Amino acid sequence: MVDFVIYSTTTIALWSVLGLSLNLQFGLTGLVNFGQVLPFAIGAYGAGFAAVHGLPWWSGAIGGIVLAPLIGLLVILPAGRLAQDYWALITLGAGEIFRLTMVNVPAIADGIEGASVHRLGDRTLAMLLALGLLAVAWLILHRIAEGPLGRLLRVIREDETLAATLGRNPLRFQMLVTVVAWALAGAAGVLYAHVTGYVSPASFMVIETFVIWTAVVLGGPGSNLGVVAGTVLVQLTSVSTRFVAQWTHLPSDLVANLRLATFGLVLVLVFLYRPQGLLPERKKAYDVDRR
Amino acid sequence: MTQILANSIVYASEIAIIAVGVALSYSILRFANFAHVQFAVVGGYLTYTFAVLAGLPVAVATAISMVLTGGLAVAIDRAVFRRLRTISPEGKMIVSWGVALFIRSIVAAIFGGASRNFPTEAAPLALAGAQVTSLDLIVVAATLIAMVVLRFLLYRTRIGTALRALASNPDLAETRGIPGERMIGLMWFVSGAYAALGGTLFAIETRLQPGMDLIILLPTFAAVTIGGLDNVFGAVAGALVLSLAQNLLISVDFGTLLAADSWYVPTQFRDYIAVGALVVILLFRPRRAGLATR
Repeated sequence: MVDFVIYSTTTIALWSVLGLSLNLQFGLTGLVNFGQVLPFAIGAYGAGFAAVHGLPWWSGAIGGIVLAPLIGLLVILPAGRLAQDYWALITLGAGEIFRLTMVNVPAIADGIEGASVHRLGDRTLAMLLALGLLAVAWLILHRIAEGPLGRLLRVIREDETLAATLGRNPLRFQMLVTVVAWALAGAAGVLYAHVTGYVSPASFMVIETFVIWTAVVLGGPGSNLGVVAGTVLVQLTSVSTRFVAQWTHLPSDLVANLRLATFGLVLVLVFLYRPQGLLPERKKAYDVDRR
Repeated sequence: MTQILANSIVYASEIAIIAVGVALSYSILRFANFAHVQFAVVGGYLTYTFAVLAGLPVAVATAISMVLTGGLAVAIDRAVFRRLRTISPEGKMIVSWGVALFIRSIVAAIFGGASRNFPTEAAPLALAGAQVTSLDLIVVAATLIAMVVLRFLLYRTRIGTALRALASNPDLAETRGIPGERMIGLMWFVSGAYAALGGTLFAIETRLQPGMDLIILLPTFAAVTIGGLDNVFGAVAGALVLSLAQNLLISVDFGTLLAADSWYVPTQFRDYIAVGALVVILLFRPRRAGLATR
């Protein structure tokens, strides 16, 4: 039971970081990133590369966390000035390309077999590290969301042209957001690799991106607290249905498919009946004269 | 060289027939429907169900599958997209992923993850110096017929005129008495049915598996993007261009060009061309893109 709590908490903390990172991109800035799994995968493969090539763990960690935002910039460069349809396609494509590269180029981290990474033996330590990362992510994103930068990002989300007339270059802020968000997701990836002790392309399918999206949309895009709440709900469902499979003796892939079907259904139902999410973003009114 | 051309045309046929549906729904509803690829998967499995499990002839099974998948597309529109007509295009894209996730998981839950094969026999043929199979000819013929029918429907009938009117100016079309929602329903039926045909052809040529959606996804959307997102026959041209580029890449012997040993790009790298094409199009067509937001 204690093991289960520790495992769930670790999972929830890691996926909350991914959710918060997506929330900064989509919820605050309006960037439709359909490849959120990519920075996560880059972080994990940083750890995987270091492990396979006999490099110290910290070099892999630094590599993953630095490379994720750099690749993020590379991805948004062609899509930066374009409509969100193209954003979605480019990020989706980039995520798949990365996964396919990991499958087809075994020299990086043992291809489809996956690579073993040093696993944190102390599970409590793993949980505390995950919670620590979540705390760091929360502090950064809370400061951004509540401060003047958050206000500007919301302006960009609602109307890029308006932001431009205020003398702010939307693309520069979108790049800033991408760097921060992808570095955080990359850090989550590094930690994920050391928590599970194993990195394989199968863990970074397109589907994973949409599990993160479900959590963000369910919780309330634009609201950090909502996103964490959404992640708790989604990931609790995720980990507990694994035990349902064991108790009921149903085939585990059937349960996994039904779980994903539920997530898809939740995503659609939230859009139909509660588009603002469970804990909506608070609308703030600013009165310039009475400050 | 004729071999490369033949391979490209066969592959382009399978992609084009799926891609036209994406372009069709984009042209009228202005959003990229990521659930569209799932219609192809559902269509493939329905054909399999009627042809292999129920023992009907493949052609009959495909026809039933097209009608049922078209119906599914209409039903999903009624249940979901119709009620979200006014939200932002980004919102619709995200919802379409929810729909896609739901459909793909249900298909996988029903049929399991293992791949299945259609028990079709393909006779090898030699055609102008290229090795093709009788199956390839059927795929290309089916696509040609489907495209001619679609062209006729869109440009030679009142329904087609109405659809094109809706695509170019929905408000004006409605004021002129075109029943918008009924036309949109028809559009969904056509794009669902075409996706089912494309998915069936794809599955017969390769194999049927729930993960097929990811194999079709990138080439389909790359083809549609090359064609200009809302251009139905542009998507067909896009599929041809993409397919040619992919087949050229994997059949050029880069090894002997650069060094002594023979080395080919592995076939798995086809998708790089798809994403690469997307990037190139985005870099060189920045002005057209603004049109896509609303």
